Amino acid sequence: MSNPFTLNGGACLAMAGKDCVAIACDLRLGQQALTLSNNFPKVFNYGDVFLGLTGLATDVQTMHSLFRYKVNLYRLREEREIEPETMANLVSSTLYERRFGPYFVSPVVAGINQRTGKPFICGFDSIGCIDFAKDFIVSGTASDQLFGVAEGLWEPDLEPEDLFETVSQTLLNSLDRDALAGWGAHVYIITKDKVTKRLLKSRQD
Amino acid sequence: MDALVSKYGGSDLDELHQIEDDDDEVSSSLPQSVSFILPPIDQPAKFLRAMTDDHSNPNAPIKLKHGTTTLAFKFQGGVMVCTDSRATQGSWISSQTVKKVIEINPYLLGTMAGGAADCQYWLTYLGMECRLHQLRHKRLISVAAASKILANLVYSYKGMGLSMGTMLTGVGAGGIFGLYYVDSDGNRVEGNLFCVGSGQTFAYGVLDRGYRFDLTDDEAVDLARRSILAATHRDAYSGGHINLYHIKKDGWVKLGFDDTNPIFWKQKLEKGEFQNVSTTLDS
Amino acid sequence: MASQYMLPHVQQPPSFHSTASQPRQHQWSPYTENGGVILGIAGKDYVIIAGDTRSSEGYSINTRTARKIFDVGSGIVLGVVGMSADGEELARKVARRIDDYKRNHDKHITVNAAAVMLSRILYAKRFFPYYCQPLLGGLDEDGVGAIYTYDYVGSFEREASRAFGAAASLITPFLDNQINLKNQFVPGTNGDEPRKPGDLPMDRVEKIVKDAFTSAVERHIEVGDGLQLVRVTRPPPREAMEDEEEVDEREKTAGGGVLTEVMSELKKD
Repeated sequence: MSNPFTLNGGACLAMAGKDCVAIACDLRLGQQALTLSNNFPKVFNYGDVFLGLTGLATDVQTMHSLFRYKVNLYRLREEREIEPETMANLVSSTLYERRFGPYFVSPVVAGINQRTGKPFICGFDSIGCIDFAKDFIVSGTASDQLFGVAEGLWEPDLEPEDLFETVSQTLLNSLDRDALAGWGAHVYIITKDKVTKRLLKSRQD
Repeated sequence: MDALVSKYGGSDLDELHQIEDDDDEVSSSLPQSVSFILPPIDQPAKFLRAMTDDHSNPNAPIKLKHGTTTLAFKFQGGVMVCTDSRATQGSWISSQTVKKVIEINPYLLGTMAGGAADCQYWLTYLGMECRLHQLRHKRLISVAAASKILANLVYSYKGMGLSMGTMLTGVGAGGIFGLYYVDSDGNRVEGNLFCVGSGQTFAYGVLDRGYRFDLTDDEAVDLARRSILAATHRDAYSGGHINLYHIKKDGWVKLGFDDTNPIFWKQKLEKGEFQNVSTTLDS
Repeated sequence: MASQYMLPHVQQPPSFHSTASQPRQHQWSPYTENGGVILGIAGKDYVIIAGDTRSSEGYSINTRTARKIFDVGSGIVLGVVGMSADGEELARKVARRIDDYKRNHDKHITVNAAAVMLSRILYAKRFFPYYCQPLLGGLDEDGVGAIYTYDYVGSFEREASRAFGAAASLITPFLDNQINLKNQFVPGTNGDEPRKPGDLPMDRVEKIVKDAFTSAVERHIEVGDGLQLVRVTRPPPREAMEDEEEVDEREKTAGGGVLTEVMSELKKD
């Protein structure tokens, strides 16, 4: 039996900088060795908060719809945008609801708290345990590679442009050593009042 | 006594006769000097399978390299041989620079799919046998004969766990081109066109579309490259570099070992192919 | 409370009854994984092979001072990672064969010849492989750094840089980026002209190697304790040498590599 976490492939990475955060993902959707699509982004945003989802593609899409629904309801009820910390708890409790039949995803949350202006990133296991980190979060089939490169390249208090370079280099070099992820990448650089989205031209093999 | 005589007496004479008599017969006896250490248990093959085969046992401690796309085809100008260069262990890309075309001698090439060590070792061994053939018979070995030595050899190890899918190709005595597919199950098939490996179907798709026997040299080069490029794009376990050889009447020529990345973008941007890959954010 | 959580649709609940009456399968398992990581980098006129010194089994640490890089003679180094018993046995065998070669031919073996020899040693155990991944380093006949890398059963290739072992997946992409300058482009060319990997000076490479290991230690439990770094460099020019006899000995080496070993600390947690 194939592993649902590695069936479709994909990788995601979030990093914190000085008053900014970055989140990035690859674009591959595969079925084991076969690359089905090279336009399958795994980072979504709900207002100011960004969510990266790697793992089983069907669960990635399901969770994206589910969180769009939940965050829209939150916005209607609270009459304000959701903050990243709140989103983290929402993701966690949503995952734990399926404790004994989990979604096969490893989510990553990134954003700037609009009230305090503080960067926030965190990651989860598939049943909702939150991993708060002040440096970086990795997930997906290239997570070992991402850990290694990020640990070597990341430094505290990077400015947005330097953070973009660090995230991009970390992601690209990791993808090039993973057969199941790659085929292009999206990178978001998020500051308090601006979001920049870029497409990375990466190897297509 | 008979045993002693046959052991020490006749062998030299017999061998001499053999060399004079059967000009075309291929000697495929197992090498005397090679002896493999076996695990001290009843079923060595079963043990090896438990330790190395990642299909029946994904947690096997020894992960052999897998994944490949290799192709070779005959055409009017000889034989084209083209491969990718990626080695994967599970989803980990362990190398992007593997030489999957093995240069047996100036006239013979073997391609590598399956176990890298098996291919390297036995094709090198085959090179030795071919040289001995040349010394004994004062002419080049035919590709047919060479491939049969290899096929008989791996057949004698059948069930032991060797893993190779190789295309043996080259030019033999009289400038006759040969192309054979030989694998560790014991298959030996002659043909005009083969693709082998996890990306074979993608390569066949492009190759069959463009293949004619009367391809010019340049057309053949382009077709071989394009077929491997298609496979590297769609098959996760193929990639790295495109390794290309052309076998002509007087032996093979290496035409390049080039990174797929610039080739891909050139193909896409200049010829308008691979429209599935977007270059802008809004799609 | 628990019933609120969605349960998977299972037909049979898991059974916790004793299975004592059932037949039990036994298996002969001669291999253990001792962790650790090694890497090798070949430069224009030097080779660096480094490895950590932790040897573990599962979550236990057997020793914090196990060397994985061996001087096998004739200016050649061998790094092994995987099962330390097999690794050490292999290193002894290679050292013995290199010594035999020297005595039989009255000259040092070249690295490329040693590389082929190691391949044959590994393939002889094709059906009962050594459980270790070896990496052979030295200076070739032109004095250029050479790293040969192997799989378990002897397929080999000469490469510029390579990491093997538990944290290879962490270190390799970092090395790709920092040593081979992968995904880096010449500024101002709009990503059209890749930076060419040049001949990095040895001290710069050593810094990158140390960075790679400290990173791996942070994120992999089987890596840590100490760093063993072995350099192979060209011998100093003849005039500088004092001992004539030693010079003669070195002259017989085609590449003429000199080994130096540096030990340093890594985190021990």
